[in-house]
Amino acid sequence: MSCLIVQSDKTLLLEVDHESADECRRAIAPFAELERAPEHVHTYRITPLALWNARAAGHDAEQAVDALVSFSRFPVPQGLLVDISETMDRYGRLTLDGDPAHGLVLRSSDRAVLEEVVRAKKLKGMLGERIDGDTVAVHPSERGNLKQELLRIGWPAEDLAGYVDGEAHEIDLAEDGWELRPYQREAAESFRAGGSGVVVLPCGAGKTIVGAAAMAMTGTTTLILVTNTVSVHQWKAELLRRTSLTEDEIGEYSGSRKEIRPVTIATYQVMAARKKGVHTHLELFEARDWGLVVYDEVHLLPAPIFRMTADLQARRRLGLTATLVREDGREGDVFSLIGPKRFDAPWKDMENQGWIAPADCVEVRVDLSDAERMAYATAEPEDRYRFCASTDAKNRVVGALVERHAEEQVLVIGSFIDQLDELGESLGAPVIKGDMRNKERERLYDAFRSGELRTLVVSKVANFSIDLPEAGVAVQVSGSFGSRQEEAQRLGRVLRPKADGGSARFYAVVARDTLDQDYAAHRQRFLAEQGYAYQITDAAELLA
Amino acid sequence: MTENPTAEGSGPEPSDDRSDTPRHRPPTFTGWLRSRSDEELTALLSARPDLARPVPSDIGALAGRATTRNAVLRVLERLDRFTLAVLEAVVALGDDRLSEPVGVTAAELAEALRPAPAPAPGTGTAIGSDSSGGPDTSAVHHRPSEEASETTPVLDRALGELLRLALVWPDRGRVRPVQVLRELLPHPAQLGPPARPLLADLPHASVERLAGELTPDSTASTPVESLAMLLSDPGRVGALLGRVDERAHRLLEGMAWGPPNGTVTDARREVDLATAGSPVESLLARALLIPTGDETLTLPREVGLHLRKGVLFRELSSEPPAFEGRERSSGTVSRTAAGQAFTVLRGLEELLELWAQEPPGVLRNGGLGVRDLRRAAQTMEVDESGAALLLEVAQAAGLVGTDDRLSGEWLPTREYDLWRESPPEERWLRLALAWIGTDRVASLAGSRDSGGRVRNVLGPGLARPGAPQARRDLLNTLAEAEPGLVPSEESLAERMAWRHPRRESSVHTDLVETARTEASVLGLTAFGALAGHTRPLLAGDPDGAARELAEELPRPLDHILVQGDMTAVAPGPLVADLARELALVAEVESTGGATVYRFTEDSIRRGLDAGRGVADITGLLERHSRTPLPQALRYLVSDVGRRHGRLRAGTASGYLRCDEPSLLEELLNDRRAEGLGLIRLAPTVVASRENRATLVERLRQLGYHPVPESGDGAMSLDRPEVRRADPVEVSEAPDREASAETVRATVRALRAGDEASTIARRPVPLPTDGPPGSRAAAVMAALSDAARDERRVWIGYTDTDGRQVSRIVHPSSVDGGFVTAYDATRDAVHKFAVHRISAVAELADPDA
Repeated sequence: MSCLIVQSDKTLLLEVDHESADECRRAIAPFAELERAPEHVHTYRITPLALWNARAAGHDAEQAVDALVSFSRFPVPQGLLVDISETMDRYGRLTLDGDPAHGLVLRSSDRAVLEEVVRAKKLKGMLGERIDGDTVAVHPSERGNLKQELLRIGWPAEDLAGYVDGEAHEIDLAEDGWELRPYQREAAESFRAGGSGVVVLPCGAGKTIVGAAAMAMTGTTTLILVTNTVSVHQWKAELLRRTSLTEDEIGEYSGSRKEIRPVTIATYQVMAARKKGVHTHLELFEARDWGLVVYDEVHLLPAPIFRMTADLQARRRLGLTATLVREDGREGDVFSLIGPKRFDAPWKDMENQGWIAPADCVEVRVDLSDAERMAYATAEPEDRYRFCASTDAKNRVVGALVERHAEEQVLVIGSFIDQLDELGESLGAPVIKGDMRNKERERLYDAFRSGELRTLVVSKVANFSIDLPEAGVAVQVSGSFGSRQEEAQRLGRVLRPKADGGSARFYAVVARDTLDQDYAAHRQRFLAEQGYAYQITDAAELLA
Repeated sequence: MTENPTAEGSGPEPSDDRSDTPRHRPPTFTGWLRSRSDEELTALLSARPDLARPVPSDIGALAGRATTRNAVLRVLERLDRFTLAVLEAVVALGDDRLSEPVGVTAAELAEALRPAPAPAPGTGTAIGSDSSGGPDTSAVHHRPSEEASETTPVLDRALGELLRLALVWPDRGRVRPVQVLRELLPHPAQLGPPARPLLADLPHASVERLAGELTPDSTASTPVESLAMLLSDPGRVGALLGRVDERAHRLLEGMAWGPPNGTVTDARREVDLATAGSPVESLLARALLIPTGDETLTLPREVGLHLRKGVLFRELSSEPPAFEGRERSSGTVSRTAAGQAFTVLRGLEELLELWAQEPPGVLRNGGLGVRDLRRAAQTMEVDESGAALLLEVAQAAGLVGTDDRLSGEWLPTREYDLWRESPPEERWLRLALAWIGTDRVASLAGSRDSGGRVRNVLGPGLARPGAPQARRDLLNTLAEAEPGLVPSEESLAERMAWRHPRRESSVHTDLVETARTEASVLGLTAFGALAGHTRPLLAGDPDGAARELAEELPRPLDHILVQGDMTAVAPGPLVADLARELALVAEVESTGGATVYRFTEDSIRRGLDAGRGVADITGLLERHSRTPLPQALRYLVSDVGRRHGRLRAGTASGYLRCDEPSLLEELLNDRRAEGLGLIRLAPTVVASRENRATLVERLRQLGYHPVPESGDGAMSLDRPEVRRADPVEVSEAPDREASAETVRATVRALRAGDEASTIARRPVPLPTDGPPGSRAAAVMAALSDAARDERRVWIGYTDTDGRQVSRIVHPSSVDGGFVTAYDATRDAVHKFAVHRISAVAELADPDA
């Protein structure tokens, strides 16, 4: 009995406890994306993009078919194998090349494909004159759009046209007291060899450092695009710590500050902002001769940035993400505009090596009192969540949890200020809210970090702050961290394994039979798919 | 041609005619057929099943049917290139319009089938020289021996086959073709017709003139006869050829290897030896060419044979061309095909389960709509052409049908229920056999007929009579390749053309091409090679096929893996019970080798709605899960269980009741429920103006999940009723193979019928104008006598369809206007109504 089962919807089920599971994972990982990683059976999906990524990384169809046939427990239907080879063979029939006489050209090893492409309606205006049977000129400005459209019609082109060098700027890694982990070095080198592309690393694996390493290898001015202001600060702090860059060399380009320096960190939000229908900050792309553009959390890249990126095809681009799966389904644009996948870390390996540590999650269910139930039932729909999420019943549970983890650093997180104030009072812990002055906040954080302060209550607003300290235990009483993906990432960031090697704990206190519980169910599914252990307890049990 | 007695141990058949035909009458085909043993007749009917449908009344009828145009055409299609060549040789040389003796000996055939002499014909050399075979040592070629009388095993085998098929028959040591073949093969081996019919068609004056010039001192009865005698004598033909010039020779050589017709202006011109000027005229004057139209000249067969030195084919191989292609391990081929087979079974089952719940409508023309086909393709996870194929096969296997309502729906049949219960290999077997046998070609769906109407899947216009044959041809040809060899397309086509040259046509080629694709979709082949489990199927051993396939198919499991993300993975097909229970309490998320189930509130509730309890569900999962049940799942089940049935609705006045006042409060406060006109009657009861059905439906839409309540206050839970259709009648192809038992019974009936129609008998005089009843009385008296003496009698009988039949019966009793008698035709005791018996005769030899 082997460990892999091939499904007709092109998902692959891998039994992880099987003795050859590791070998099998290595064989299928190049051409299948890990979709879910619960405890026993991991699900991988074979998509055209995954197959083309594999092609771009130098794997061939024979290898993929071989891996499936040799590891599959059951005979693999022939139709599926044929489909895989045919799809894979589509990549690279067309190449984009630099041509001394014509600038940019589209070449094909298969004349029929080129004919199809030249005749495609959607490509009108992107292609220039026909140079010979196998070559057609491409308008340099259409390099990105052409790649996007070619992918859509199923003939993804390999971009071999090269990159501009950009303005040189020396950046060195400052490896004092830390060093690049082997997989981080490998990721940066794979990117460097490919020129452009995406590095996939799980949360907490140090994507920022991979970015820094890539910048050091490129040695040019760099534009970094990140999701929000918190990330801007985080990147800045991390770059200052990990590289030879100084405060003066790093600019912040956000809603409040507009600095352009050799290394500039901008948010997607500000880049996507429009005034009277015009993107007002486009000049940032032209402000310097950037040698490298880094996209953080590529799976969250908004549509306008894609459009801008289409015009940046001559610059090196590095995408960083924990997952290639986009909730809007625009994986194809990432592939054609940022580049193919250049590195993918074996998640389980990293976990085994201790680089990342998923937390244990516990959902604690509290019962509403009869009076509360009645009040909940009669509440206006818009107030319902607030009502059930901030039930008094939760306070006692939080108290008990804090008591249980008296020896550890505990963060209590919530969205409703009243509830947090109440909690702060009953726990005797300071409450950090959005209106708190920075100085005071810093002081409390420092006290928490040093261990002087064991418990801290923070509001949702505050937890967006960059310097939120790490903790061994987090208790969430209300609210969520945004999308499910973001939530898992933030958990990974806040929670650190304990000194004794035990994993961190995440408690979610939830009111039974209410909206609160419905939200918790979604969270539970996602966390379980990410491989977090998940438990449910009754408050009564906990308190007993 | 030299007369040659059949050599001992060679030749087609011992020549002595065993029939009881009187010696003075020439032997006939019917007589020969009658003389064949039961085994031989059985072999004939097995090989040509169309002859036995319906069962011919006697041997005469059988002979008639065996020599009809269509029946012979059908059997010609089945001959391979070599056997066909042998048949052509028999037709060419054994034509009874050639000079006596009629027929051809095996030795003559061997001589005529030797390879052509080494120098290519058409160079005008060696005309008229004696016709000794050139030495050719090619191993492939059928090789003549020095002894003209010696034949070869391959030739014997081919002749034996032709005799078995009753295409040729032996007549006093010679072989003769059945007569219809001379029409069906008008130019055997590209030779023209014999001289005799060609001459007979000429104007009498022309023939007389030719005869007068060429055979002035003939003793033959007619001019045609004397000319025919002339042309059948090789020596005299050689002499005639010697007197024409080089140009005329070249002209003849051009026609010698066919086609045997030439075009010339004014073919019927008057010519004689003296005035003949041009080469054509010199040939016409010597009857070496005979006009067959105003502008057509034909080379008589005798002359053609002479020019070819008696050789019929320039090239003739008794072995089929070898396969060429790439090798694959036969294990991989079988495994991959089995994977495909499994996919097909699963897809079809999934679709038919869905159709049982949501049957698609039947189009007015009887087919399935395009949109429904697309949906079916999605359900089965195949493309639309694949879906069309699977549906057609399912129909052919009797698994889908229409219900009998006016606006019909497509439904699985009752047969489907039985099918689903059988093991996967048998399920596949049934589909595979149905596919091979059906004359419907699924790939025609979507094309337009001559009237421009689109043909629909399961609808009319998809039948192609040649389809089953094309499939069998393809599979049988593939079966001849080594296991694991993937023949190239060209090599396959060549081989098929060799096997059945008469079958080649663009229609057949298209059908074969379609069959190639379909066979791989259904898992009979993979990568273009035959799967291991298909071989026994073709060899008529379905059990063996099932056994082989079973080895490759995944075995049903009784365990699953339940995971924290609320999924359960069945790492293989599940035993039917478990699969059904799981499908009830979980949604199927993906299928394939494994099945992934997802537990949701809705799915658990569905299980509860169907009468499963919380303990039943967790118990089921605990029993079958290899992994510990995740705690979150237990919570989910018990949460849903706890809430299930909290809210109940009634009909009459329409009411809602709930043990928790707060829930009703919630409902009453729900603005979306205002339309239901809810009034609170008590803390735990709410009434509604709406009836129960509307109420339940609306509340479910709003996200409440009321359970309907029956009159006595119990929850009424229901499951949708499963609907089924009757199986469709699947018509049998006329040349579908019959079982050995059927064929044996047919031969028995034939013999009995033949005896009844041919046996010598003495009619019992029956009064024709006596008093009423006297005729019946006479019949009864004769039959009673026979019964008493235990004699067999012949009766003429009008059967229930009004047909006059004759039978030889063994009467046992005569009673109440009926004769009870053993009827050998049917091998059964039968009652004959006396008033239907038109004649009675005593047998000359009653115990024979």
